[in-house]
Amino acid sequence: MRDLLVVENLRQIFGGRNQTFAVDDVSFRIPAEPTIVSLVGESGSGKSTIARIILGLLQPTAGRVLYDGADIAMSGRKWNRKFRGEVQAVFQDPYSVYNPVYKAERVLKLVIRKFGLAKSKAEAQAMMEEALRAVDLRPEEVLDRHPHQLSGGQRQRLMLARVYLMRPRLIVADEPVSMIDAGMRASFLNILQDFRDSHGISTLFITHDLSTAMYLGGEIIVLYQGRIMEQGATQTVMNAPLHPYAQLLISSIPTPDPRRRWDEDLSAAPLAEIGYGASAGRERCLFADRCPQVMDQCWGARPRLQAPKIDAVDSAQRDVACYLYE
Amino acid sequence: MPALLEIRGLSAGLQGRRSVTQVVSNVDLDVRSGEILGVVGESGCGKSTLATAIMRLLVPPQVLQSGSMTLRLNKGSSYDLVKLSESELRELRWRHLSYIPQGSMNSLNPVLRVERQMTDTLIQHGLSDKEARSRAIAALELVNLEPKILYSYPHELSGGMRQRVIIAAAVSMRPALIVADELTTALDVVTQRQILQELIGIRDELGATIILITHDMGVVAQIADRVAVMYAGKIAELGTVNGIFETPLHPYSQGLIGSIPRESGQRVEGLLGEAPSPWNYPTGCRFHPRCPKVFAHCRAQTPALQVQASDRWAACHLYDAEVAADA
Ligand SMILES: Nc1ncnc2c1ncn2[C@@H]1O[C@H](COP(=O)(O)OP(=O)(O)OP(=O)(O)O)[C@@H](O)[C@H]1O
Ligand SMILES: Nc1ncnc2c1ncn2[C@@H]1O[C@H](COP(=O)(O)OP(=O)(O)OP(=O)(O)O)[C@@H](O)[C@H]1O
Ligand code: SF4
Ligand code: SF4
Ligand SMILES: [Mg+2]
Ligand SMILES: [Mg+2]
Repeated sequence: MRDLLVVENLRQIFGGRNQTFAVDDVSFRIPAEPTIVSLVGESGSGKSTIARIILGLLQPTAGRVLYDGADIAMSGRKWNRKFRGEVQAVFQDPYSVYNPVYKAERVLKLVIRKFGLAKSKAEAQAMMEEALRAVDLRPEEVLDRHPHQLSGGQRQRLMLARVYLMRPRLIVADEPVSMIDAGMRASFLNILQDFRDSHGISTLFITHDLSTAMYLGGEIIVLYQGRIMEQGATQTVMNAPLHPYAQLLISSIPTPDPRRRWDEDLSAAPLAEIGYGASAGRERCLFADRCPQVMDQCWGARPRLQAPKIDAVDSAQRDVACYLYE
Repeated sequence: MPALLEIRGLSAGLQGRRSVTQVVSNVDLDVRSGEILGVVGESGCGKSTLATAIMRLLVPPQVLQSGSMTLRLNKGSSYDLVKLSESELRELRWRHLSYIPQGSMNSLNPVLRVERQMTDTLIQHGLSDKEARSRAIAALELVNLEPKILYSYPHELSGGMRQRVIIAAAVSMRPALIVADELTTALDVVTQRQILQELIGIRDELGATIILITHDMGVVAQIADRVAVMYAGKIAELGTVNGIFETPLHPYSQGLIGSIPRESGQRVEGLLGEAPSPWNYPTGCRFHPRCPKVFAHCRAQTPALQVQASDRWAACHLYDAEVAADA
């Protein structure tokens, strides 16, 4: 089957005197089978830029995005309508998406009307109620409320209900839970898993919070300064990361278990310098200045993202960009 | 361990046109000398209000309603922060207390070099330029920054570096008590880990006491000695970090800790319902509308924070022998 989404050699350079290589030759795919792919990385690593390109909100400097086999930049009006219906965005603060004078009911009705989803009033009502229940909201509690009368968690789930009405094939969610409390986060993530398992909806989930990515399972892509360092099955990567950056990242998750505290004191470790790709150039491993295992060759050329040459059973399930595994 | 700060019956609220809406209610809390006390709770439960009340930095419409806060410094001097005048407070804050507000990473003045921002207050308080500079450099060292950063402007620094500058400025007078509100919330995990580990170093080096406010259970698990769990303006439970994570007593703490996934792929259910805001705090136990163990008594009577075991306090009728027997 055709991949749902293919991202090919994506590059985004923001101009000006100090060029920012926000996305630097990134390729990955989301298969046709319903999947959750988490895109993780620190602030500024290029996550939102990739999301904006995929959503067609930003024209990349180079590279292309294929959705269901077609280049999203090339396609015509009919195709555009299909794309707008099948690929849905969920952002960090859904507040901005809502018109504050509209009640929740209106927010949902507008979608039903715009996309001609229901033939009658009764059908529209039934659809709204089903959508709300699919995201664990009680229709009688939210339909009559304005966005500011809902909690952050409720607003985010209302956003998912809206998305659900359109039955997309792909949700692109950029930091959707970073404003929601831990106690309610789980229910939001459970809904994405239900969407995948019961409704065949895939999600590209963007987060800097690795514990959320771990909870979601599926696949993970670890970005660093606009490049993919490691990718593979979330469980495999999280349990035994290979790339030194992924190792640092994953060992730094504050595990919510006081009996499993960080063992190594990083407070004397070298700090990352700012100004991505400024003086040292980018024809190298970008992690070289912080890597405890750096070698001479790491400064000479960019390591390629490929299956690691090691004997581990899981090596086929992932790719790593590091000379240690070439 | 003796208490550095003894908070009793502290209440603070928001002054409305006719009445005060209480946000933080009747908080009893001992902050022990040299500890890192984590204060956790959902957004809006009153953590920042408590922190600002402790520092006596509430600004209208916020008002301090009642209570006492006894600060005992090692020279045997003791003060009730609630009773001090503004000028006494200023003096005490400058010498012994330090507050790092939520979001302070973005509060550096963009047009001033780090040096000015770190030394101006020191100089205003009578230190010579040279003294101020050497204090600033010593403080920067505590957070792993080189002296050359003094010549930088804030926009030249990464978020983690700006947060370190803020911390350094806050500890340059070697305070006895540091109250840090959401210190690492906006940072990536690696930087967060480094800064939290630096904070432990500061505690050890200065012998300071730290109140660390966060909504992240992982952060408290990693660095706190004890944990206070807040719900709707009250302390629901207080205990050692191991105790709270292993055997949470209060149903709210149980819900919070139960909603943490332990294994990849394991599914957990979140807490049901939403936290109330100060304008609609429920009667009786404020957690009762969401509590899976609620019984009739909970709706009418407010449970008091009571000692339940060694080093453990909880405010829940389940542990109130007489009431629970009635149920
Ligand atoms: N429109 C723009 N013009 C110039 N630079 C930009 C623009 N958008 C993003 N950048 C830069 O590109 C880099 C990547 O930004 P991006 O927003 O994709 O990161 P991110 O991973 O989403 O970070 P965060 O976790 O903070 O949201 C950053 O250095 C950012 O400053
Ligand atoms: N100056 C103010 N004006 C209006 N409401 C306020 C003010 N200060 C606090 N509140 C309200 O008091 C409650 C407690 O707020 P507080 O900031 O103390 O919570 P918090 O636990 O620190 O939340 P967060 O985790 O989001 O920082 C909230 O409902 C908040 O909206
Ligand atoms: S390529 Fe070299 S510098 Fe980069 S992560 Fe691997 S060992 Fe470290
Ligand atoms: S007092 Fe009652 S409602 Fe409150 S936490 Fe205890 S059992 Fe639940
Ligand atoms: Mg982003
Ligand atoms: Mg706060």
